Amino acid sequence: MTDLTGGSPTPRQRPSWLSPNLWWLVIPAILFILLFFLIPVLSLFASSFDKAMPGQITFQGNFSWNNYERIFSRSLYYTAIWRSVWLGATVAGVCLVIGYPLAFIIARTFRAGTATLLTILVLSSMQLDMVIRLYGLMVLMGDKGLINTGLIALGITSEPLPLMYNEVGVIVGLVQVTLPFMVLSLIGSIRSINPALEEAARSLGSSRWHVMRTITWPLSLPGIYAGTLLVFALAISSYVVPALMGGWKVITLPIHIYQQIAEVGRWQFGAAVATLLFLTSLFAMALYVVALRRNAGGRV
Amino acid sequence: MSDIRLEHLTKSYGDSTAVDSVSLHIEEGEFYALLGPSGCGKSTTLRMVAGFVKPSVGKIIIDGLDLTPLPPEKRDIGIVFQNYAIFPHMSVAENIAFGLKLRKKSRTEIDTAVRAALDQVGLTGFEDRYQRNLSGGQQQRVALARVLVTEPRILLLDEPLSALDKTLREEMKFWIKNLQQKLGITTIYVTHDQDEALTMSDRIGVMRAGQIEHSGTPREIYEEPATLFVTSFIGQSNILDVTCQGVKENKATVELGGQSLHASTRHLFGKGTPAKLVIRPENVLMGKEAEAQGVPLLTATVIDETYQGAMLRYRLEIAGQEIVAERQNQFHLERWAPGTEVKIGWTERRARALPDEKPAATGS
Repeated sequence: MTDLTGGSPTPRQRPSWLSPNLWWLVIPAILFILLFFLIPVLSLFASSFDKAMPGQITFQGNFSWNNYERIFSRSLYYTAIWRSVWLGATVAGVCLVIGYPLAFIIARTFRAGTATLLTILVLSSMQLDMVIRLYGLMVLMGDKGLINTGLIALGITSEPLPLMYNEVGVIVGLVQVTLPFMVLSLIGSIRSINPALEEAARSLGSSRWHVMRTITWPLSLPGIYAGTLLVFALAISSYVVPALMGGWKVITLPIHIYQQIAEVGRWQFGAAVATLLFLTSLFAMALYVVALRRNAGGRV
Repeated sequence: MSDIRLEHLTKSYGDSTAVDSVSLHIEEGEFYALLGPSGCGKSTTLRMVAGFVKPSVGKIIIDGLDLTPLPPEKRDIGIVFQNYAIFPHMSVAENIAFGLKLRKKSRTEIDTAVRAALDQVGLTGFEDRYQRNLSGGQQQRVALARVLVTEPRILLLDEPLSALDKTLREEMKFWIKNLQQKLGITTIYVTHDQDEALTMSDRIGVMRAGQIEHSGTPREIYEEPATLFVTSFIGQSNILDVTCQGVKENKATVELGGQSLHASTRHLFGKGTPAKLVIRPENVLMGKEAEAQGVPLLTATVIDETYQGAMLRYRLEIAGQEIVAERQNQFHLERWAPGTEVKIGWTERRARALPDEKPAATGS
């Protein structure tokens, strides 16, 4: 067997069990990422530059900008890009507004039992299959759903409110699906804030709300950024929610991708749209990194 | 100038009582230390005065005003925390300005006050530094500046020096005390360090299991402790088992090893009850010194001598019990070898008779 001593260059930095001779343990993970992530994504990029040939899956090697020209010359796709980004941002905003108070309560609950219970409640919605949850939402929000029936019965409206098969339905659906991610991200961030800081602020005359604004919020920004990015990325790449809740009237990039690939068979074009989606996410991540760098100085 | 009155302040959590009916009156400008081991309730008491913990029973009255129903932000109290709690996302100047901004002071007023405060704590020029570039002692001073700049009614300090190293602690002890005296602000100082309490405070409240066992000046606490716990918590004590023969006018007659001795006491003992005789090592006189004082003498045997540089420490055996004597190491003093017999004694004023105590229970 190879000699395990004297491998570490700086014994103080590297834990003793992470001897360089055990590097081969990482190989399975690297292979997995290579095989199931890197290679597919790269071939997706490659396909997007291939000449559009309906029904042709394999890479032909005919370089052309056709696909991208097509995207940027039709308002249809511009609308879809804009809609995806807009939905993603709105969903992120709504999740933040709803999720922050919830995360704050969970993070600051004194009794460990209550905090765990609330966290489980938040996570419990993730235990059910997404489609089943969405059907549940449809029951709630349809024209003859619970909400509208209730509102009409109470006499608040005479006509059913259009909550489904439009952007409202999609947003509600996306929020329901992505909220746990925001909440979990925020809980970690808020918990890491020293409670003495909030107490110090209060003793200096700050009301609870003022403390939240000047102390808690700024110090939880890393968690806010992380949660927002995560929710945005999940929201813009969602296919099922816009499909079910939007009634095929809310066309987002993922729906275009599906249509191109599964319905029309234009793989190369679909790949181009998918690449665009990927770049949008990447752009959002770049913004996240910039924002984090500018605000990281304040972190405890 | 505000005085503080705590009336039957109690805090219970279910079955356990953290603070048990504490009543206290702290005079204007007084530096009052709450001293005790961890878990004795001193921090909880402080937090109730600050408003972070709601008392189960009792009132907190400052300057004649009942502050008990008020939230922390309305109490106008300054508090310095153990880990300083400097806002890391704000500069030193912004930290100090925090309370002033809340009081709607003008920009110029704030700037002047901040500069004056920094000057007062010796940190001029530190306006734009951030917490990550400040040492513990500097953060300590920023925390104080931040609090004092708002001119609070009273000042609360929660073990502010425990996170500092020894030399810095010594320095800061005097610095804080000086500042407090100069400003004349009524202060409650929570600590588990008896040295801090003895050197800094006007009065000390020694706490155990949620109650104040003895409240008095440092001298009273040290020389005339009310209970066995207080005497062993502060400084060193010899605690000897004796039998009490009777008490007359705060003077108890006790029997130790066949000899009758007197000790001062505040308690009443029946004839023949077992009691504890408490005498501090520095008050145990030996040999010629004991004879020269004219005090009742006892015969003891030396167990050993420990050389401590400035002090000499003797362990002695008397009537089957161990007693420690501490003497200053001055060149002309006699010394004794282990095994030798020596006459010892003490002034009765320095000896106290205290009732025997069961081991400390927690709360109720």
